Amino acid sequence: MQNRWLKKEKKYSFSSQVINVLIWGCLILMALFILMPTLFMFTASFMPASDILKMPYRWIPKDFYWKNYWQGIKGNDGSFIYIRNIFNSLIVAIVVSISTVILSALAGFGLAKYSFKGRSLVFMMIMGTMMIPFEAIMIPLYLVATKLRLQDSYPGLILPFLVNAFGIFLMRQFFITFPDEILDAARIDGASEFMIFRTIILPNSIPAIATLAILTFKAQWDNLLWPLLVVQSEEMKTIPLYIIKFMAEKHTDEGAMMAVAAIASIPILVVFFKLSKYFLSGAALYSSRKG
Amino acid sequence: MSKKKLIYSIERQKARWGWIFVAPSLIFFSLFSFYPIFTAFYTSLFKKKLLSLKPPDFIALGNYLYLLKSPDFWNSMRATIVFTLGTFIPILVFSLILAIFISSRKRFQNFLQLAYYSPAVLSSVVAAVIWLLIFDPRGLGNQWLNFLFRSPGVDHKWLANSIMVQLSTMLVYFWKYVGYFTIIFIVGLASIPQSIYEAAKIDGGNDWKNFWYITLPLLKPTTILVSIISMLQCLRTFSTQYLFTQGGAPLAPINVITLNIYHTAIRDHQIGRASAMSIILFIIMMLFTWIQFKTSRADEISY
Repeated sequence: MQNRWLKKEKKYSFSSQVINVLIWGCLILMALFILMPTLFMFTASFMPASDILKMPYRWIPKDFYWKNYWQGIKGNDGSFIYIRNIFNSLIVAIVVSISTVILSALAGFGLAKYSFKGRSLVFMMIMGTMMIPFEAIMIPLYLVATKLRLQDSYPGLILPFLVNAFGIFLMRQFFITFPDEILDAARIDGASEFMIFRTIILPNSIPAIATLAILTFKAQWDNLLWPLLVVQSEEMKTIPLYIIKFMAEKHTDEGAMMAVAAIASIPILVVFFKLSKYFLSGAALYSSRKG
Repeated sequence: MSKKKLIYSIERQKARWGWIFVAPSLIFFSLFSFYPIFTAFYTSLFKKKLLSLKPPDFIALGNYLYLLKSPDFWNSMRATIVFTLGTFIPILVFSLILAIFISSRKRFQNFLQLAYYSPAVLSSVVAAVIWLLIFDPRGLGNQWLNFLFRSPGVDHKWLANSIMVQLSTMLVYFWKYVGYFTIIFIVGLASIPQSIYEAAKIDGGNDWKNFWYITLPLLKPTTILVSIISMLQCLRTFSTQYLFTQGGAPLAPINVITLNIYHTAIRDHQIGRASAMSIILFIIMMLFTWIQFKTSRADEISY
């Protein structure tokens, strides 16, 4: 009896080893597929164009060809406008992140910790805006922006994104578990409601705030459609618009193109690897979303 | 003041503060979500031209009727639906399998998660630019495929052939987002209590049975969530298609509805018609979101 059990155990472990190797094979293949294009961008950014489209592709640059980066930053016309465009992207992303955090925290706190008539209706309405795709309202927004002469300005780029329903939802979920006793204790000590928000709620919600700020920053860094509509001058372009313009210019070769793309990606990749836990917890919060 | 009255006034004051906290966001949403969507609907009933000083003509449902008869619009619907189905189904299947594989590993879990997630943080314009080079006739795409099929020197026309260009856009999207949904599935898997698997082990279940009878049913809410989010995202795809056409790919096969809205409004100046298309997109997305709320509410699982 003892023997048979042992035998079975051994057989099982052999087949499980095969499965183990197969699973690792799949995971590694997939990781290669996913990492390859990013790696390609960085290696190609150090090559002259003639090396990039060579068959077969050499993954290690022969010697580091920094000229691509210089051309990318300087621009084909030597105006260094890319630096200004990076600055624009930073301004827009940072301002939107700050305002989203503040407004979402306020509304999330109000919805989580105060009962007032019509609260659930307000909550439903805010959640309802998640159903309105930006693509469906961009034209009316564009018409309003032109009427108010907001094209080609920071307010024009920033205003439509000051807060979003997902942020409010995220903050509300976070605050709902916050103990009421602490808030009541502060009230008894004579703290005003706004002081409670500032001195108790905000300092205690750093993880949620960081998650929301990072996700918002990333979304704005990626925003293409709205800047495409409202921006006209070179000075007000954001990074995605600069990349599109740079791509269309005839002096741009593949190496310079990849250098420009790499410059646009380095900040966000650094933020990602430094603060990866907030990115991952952002996905976690999303998946805890319920009707 | 009596005690009852005092409590009443405290409650009323608290209610006022609730409104004060919510007010800024409410004002924002009325100005930047509700007002524009109503305007979009209103505008869709007019024949309106961008930059035209003439007052727009009221044509009721004329724009919608025009669209229903327009082959260009139906082509966009086809492109959007083909792209959505061709992208979100592979994403769903692969992210589920990858999540199960990663969760079963004891080492390198964190590294794999970060590696898989990383394309999602790149901006979509950067992603499109990288893949445009990979899909170049002399690029890596042909090199890989020819290596796999042992067919040296064949050009697979990634961007020129009308079927290949659709596959190319799907591949870019798949590459960018499969890791993101893998993470969501991993979180969903982690929320299934280990004790259920231990109970199944005592009852003599094997890994395969566990997967079919425990993991998959308990993962249903996450699966529904992932399929709806990814579907909504695919319906809204814009950047990849826009960049690809800028990079020389033919427009018709990948003229998705958002791209069509953009072109109709900005290039053709047909604001009314573009608004009608926006409203149709809005209704489609509302339908999907409604399905999500319906199904996710019916499927709350408690352990």
